[in-house]
Parts: sequence; C-alpha cells; structure tokens
Amino acid sequence: MSALLSLKGVRAGYGSIEVLHGLDLGVQAGEIVSIIGVNGSGKSTLLQAVSGVVPLRGGCIELEGERLDTTGVEGIVRRGVVQIPEGRQLFGPLTVEENLELGGYSRRGRRGRHAGGDGRARVGSGPAGAAARLDQVYALFPRLAERRRQAAATLSGGEQQMLALGRALMAEPRLLLLDEPSMGLAPLIVRDIFRVLRELNQQGLTLLLVEQDARTALNLAHRGLVMERGRIVLEDRAEVLLASPDVQSIYFGQGGGRHGRGTRPAGQGGGSA
Amino acid sequence: MTFEQLLQYIFSGLTSGSIYALTALGFTLIYNATGLINFAQGELVMLGGLSAVGLYQAGLPLPVAFLGSLTIVLIVTVLFQQLAIRPLLSRGVLAQVIATVGASLALRTAAMMIFGREALPLPAFSGDTPIRIFGASLNPQTLWVVGSTLLIVLALQLFYRRTLTGKAVRACAVNPLAARLMGVSYSNVVLLSFAVSGAISAAAGVMITPISFMTYSSGALLGLKGFAAAALGGLGNPVGAVVGGVALGILEGLGVGLVSSGYKDAIAFVILLLVLFLRPQGIFGGKAVEQE
Ligand SMILES: Nc1ncnc2c1ncn2[C@@H]1O[C@H](COP(=O)(O)OP(=O)(O)O)[C@@H](O)[C@H]1O
Ligand SMILES: [Mg+2]
Repeated sequence: MSALLSLKGVRAGYGSIEVLHGLDLGVQAGEIVSIIGVNGSGKSTLLQAVSGVVPLRGGCIELEGERLDTTGVEGIVRRGVVQIPEGRQLFGPLTVEENLELGGYSRRGRRGRHAGGDGRARVGSGPAGAAARLDQVYALFPRLAERRRQAAATLSGGEQQMLALGRALMAEPRLLLLDEPSMGLAPLIVRDIFRVLRELNQQGLTLLLVEQDARTALNLAHRGLVMERGRIVLEDRAEVLLASPDVQSIYFGQGGGRHGRGTRPAGQGGGSA
Repeated sequence: MTFEQLLQYIFSGLTSGSIYALTALGFTLIYNATGLINFAQGELVMLGGLSAVGLYQAGLPLPVAFLGSLTIVLIVTVLFQQLAIRPLLSRGVLAQVIATVGASLALRTAAMMIFGREALPLPAFSGDTPIRIFGASLNPQTLWVVGSTLLIVLALQLFYRRTLTGKAVRACAVNPLAARLMGVSYSNVVLLSFAVSGAISAAAGVMITPISFMTYSSGALLGLKGFAAAALGGLGNPVGAVVGGVALGILEGLGVGLVSSGYKDAIAFVILLLVLFLRPQGIFGGKAVEQE
C-alpha cells in the first residue's frame, strides 16, 4: 500500500540558506508520526514545505501517489492537508466563531469531499455542511461554544490551542500537520489536547506532528523520527525511541526547560504516563 | 456665531467630512490588506470626479456617468495593482509605496492631458434649491453625499462582518500566513481590496464634484485629508476612518466659521501633525502610523 504522504529527496530553504537537505519521509494513513528535533533543526520548514508555503528546491511531495507540491497553498488545503502552525496563529481580533468559520474556508461551495478512503463520517460542504461541522467542533470543545462571540485573543492558552485545533478540523482534514502543539501550555492542558488528538486519530485522522518536547510527542505517536540539521537521522517505533538511551540523553529534559515549565531531569518519569 | 451659522458650518463640515471618510476608508482597505499607504488614493478620487464629468459631457445621463466612473476607476486600480504592485510584492513595502507615488504622478499627468487644467463641474444630483432647516440652508447634494456615504459604510460593514469572503479579508489583515493556510487566496484578497478601495474613492470624487468642482490637481489635497482622517481615526481601523473623516470635516467647517476660511486646509495638516506627535495610534487605536 502506498503512503498517504510521502516526501522524496525534499530540499528547501530561505534565500541562500538550504534548511532541508534531501529529506525522505512517509506517513501511512491512520498513523500518528512525531518528528522531534531541537530548535532550528528545520521542523517548521518541513511542515511549511508540505503546506506549500516554502517552495521546494528539489525532490517532490506526494499525497496518495499524486503530486502535492505543484498544487499551491490553497489547493493543498483543499486536498485535506491542513496545518496548525507554530504559535497557533489565530485571528486574534476576530471572534471564536469567525475563526472557526474561516477554518472551513477551503470547503465552501464544494459539494462532497475529496475522495478520502479513511471512513470518517462526512457532513458535506456549503453553508449547511459548515453549520454541521461547527456543531461537531462545539461538541468536541464545549468551552469554545460558550465563548463563540468572544475575540480569540481573549482566550486562555489552552482554549486558544483548542480553537486552533477546531479551526483546522473545520477544513475536514485527512492529514493534520501540527507544529509544536504543546508549546507554551501547562502540562495538564497538553494532556487534554493530546487526548483529543488520540481520539481524532482513532476516528481515522492521520497526524504528523513536530515537537521539541520529545517525551510528549513520542507518547502520542506510533512512530517517531529524529531530525537534525534538516535531515532525518533516526526513525523507529515510538516506544523504541522512548526507551532509547541516545534519545533520552539528547532530547529528554530539554522539552520542559525550553518551554519554561521548570526543568525536569530525565529519568524521573514525571511526565510519562 | 449664531445658531444658524453654527448649523451651516456643521452641514458643510458633514459634506466634506463624508468625502474624507470615504477617502480614509480607501486608504484603510489597502493598508489592511497590504500594509501599504497608497499615495495615489487622492488621485483615484480626482479620477472618479473627472471621469464622471467626461462621461456626462459625452451625453450620458448622470447616474450612468456615476456608475461608469466607478467602473473606470475600479479598472485603473486593479490594473495598477496587477501591473505595478504585484511584481513588487517580494521587494518589500517601500518599493510598493514608491510605485504608488509614481502612479499618483502618472494619473495626475494623464488627467491633465485628457481633461485640461480647468476646474470642471457636474450638476447636483437633484437640483440646487436649498432646503431650509432651523434657519440654515442645506444643499440637497449634502444629503446625497451623507446618505450615500452612510450606505457605503453600511454595505462595507455587512460585507466584512457577515460574509465569509469579508471575514477572510479581515483575517488576512490580521495574519496573512494563517489565512493562506485556511485556503484563502491572499492575492485575491489584495486584488479585491484594491478594487473596493478604487470604487469608493471614485464615488467620493463624483459626489463632491457638484459642490467643489474637480481639476487634475485636486487629488493631492483630497488624499492628504483622507490620510489625516485615517490617521486621526487610527490607521487600519475602518470605523475610525469614518469617524476621523467626519470629525475632520466638522473641525474644518467650524474652523472656517471661528477663524477664517483662509486656514481651512491648514487644519488637516495641524491635526495630522498633532496625531503623529501625540497619539500615533489614532483616537480609536489602529496600528501606529510610525510603525510602517
Ligand atoms: N523565514 C525564514 N527566513 C530565513 N531563515 C529561516 C526562516 N525560517 C526559519 N529559518 C531558518 O531555518 C532553520 C530551520 O528553522 P525552523 O524550520 O524554524 O526550525 P524548527 O522549527 O525546527 O525550530 C533555522 O536555521 C532558521 O533560522
Ligand atoms: Mg519551529
């Protein structure tokens, strides 16, 4: 079976700097894949390349065997590859509901959905479909329903991450790209968000997330990849990586400190559950 | 100053204030979509007025000339965006601002060659017989100007608040990258913003021509006052643009009454300087003017 998403020899960068040096990566339908790597290793650039924001300088990206990198940012969203960017990037002055409605922008005026074989219940597009999807998101996050008329900027950090997730779901993704979803959030809230992500995955949504917080990311994932300076240097099942002394020594204990949640020495097991 | 005089100055202030408000809105729409100050905004108002004069003199009925002028300016604005601004997108805001300065000179020169140097009139939309209100006389054209301005502002509000496309435009003003990641075409939003900005500037130009005539060189002052109004209301804030425009118009009107009509145009400059020095984010808190 061919992968849902595959990157082959992808090279990309900014100006004279090349950040991704021939990157290969495959994500199977139904999988959760976490890419871990320190700040600056090129994780965000990778997701921006998949979303079409950063153009490729070499290689190609395919969705179910069809070229994705020639489709353009809007076309990529319409094909169901949806990104929650680093730092959430909400529309702060707009209301919660307006943010959600905009999340469904790519589905407006479209009947039916891209041919997705992932078996999730579909609610159609157009205004009626949008209303139904809005209800689904509100059912998933009742807190957003209570705050629907509030400006997004007035939400707490956790609520903002829920809104970012809800906004992405409005686009009916088949592949959700998440850039550091745990960043800046308290551990309890991260746990809530990741529980929802796991549920969504069980309903058929494929997830590709990049994280500095390796422990959290690998706990969620089926498969983990380690990225260093624009290359994938290690790839294995998530529990193998979690148990690997190399990964532990390099990546654990950083996540906490980096996110300003107080350092937590590796090996105490505080965050693993 | 008697009450009748006061009322008279307020009426006249409301009229020019509406025009400043529309011009300020024109600035705001382009600024919000692109972060650009369009130095050709006043020339679009001028072009609107003169195009209507040209079409009217060619024998078209006034309403048709009005709509024709909106179309012409809309097309000019869209062409300008596509041919001059778009290729410069990757060169940064300064290059684009310089392009707008170039466009303002080009439009002024073209208008002079086509329409000459004379100040050209247009008949009032519904006659010149003044309406008496509390002893002050109200020019019917004022009702047209104020009424149409209200309608335009209301229509824009509905568009930006109620339609998904309008919300996408507001989203682009806040965070273009995130909007693109939702599938919004940023280049279409920019194009739409230029088109709407051009059309409402043209409307302002057509409506003011029966009151104060139009020449090829009227754009500079109109643009400056529209910019002062936008800065006063808080650059990037559409409600602020309207309130700033009306406030500027009324202050001018009262200034003429209290001081002298010789200082009318100076008031806008003084307000602009005061805003820039004292409160660059404007009364209603848009983005600070000095940021860009
Ligand atoms: N817009 C940009 N322009 C220039 N360089 C960039 C840009 N974004 C990221 N970079 C550079 O690319 C490299 C990888 O960055 P990024 O993909 O953001 O890494 P990560 O998400 O893993 O922290 C870094 O060296 C960073 O400085
Ligand atoms: Mg990053």
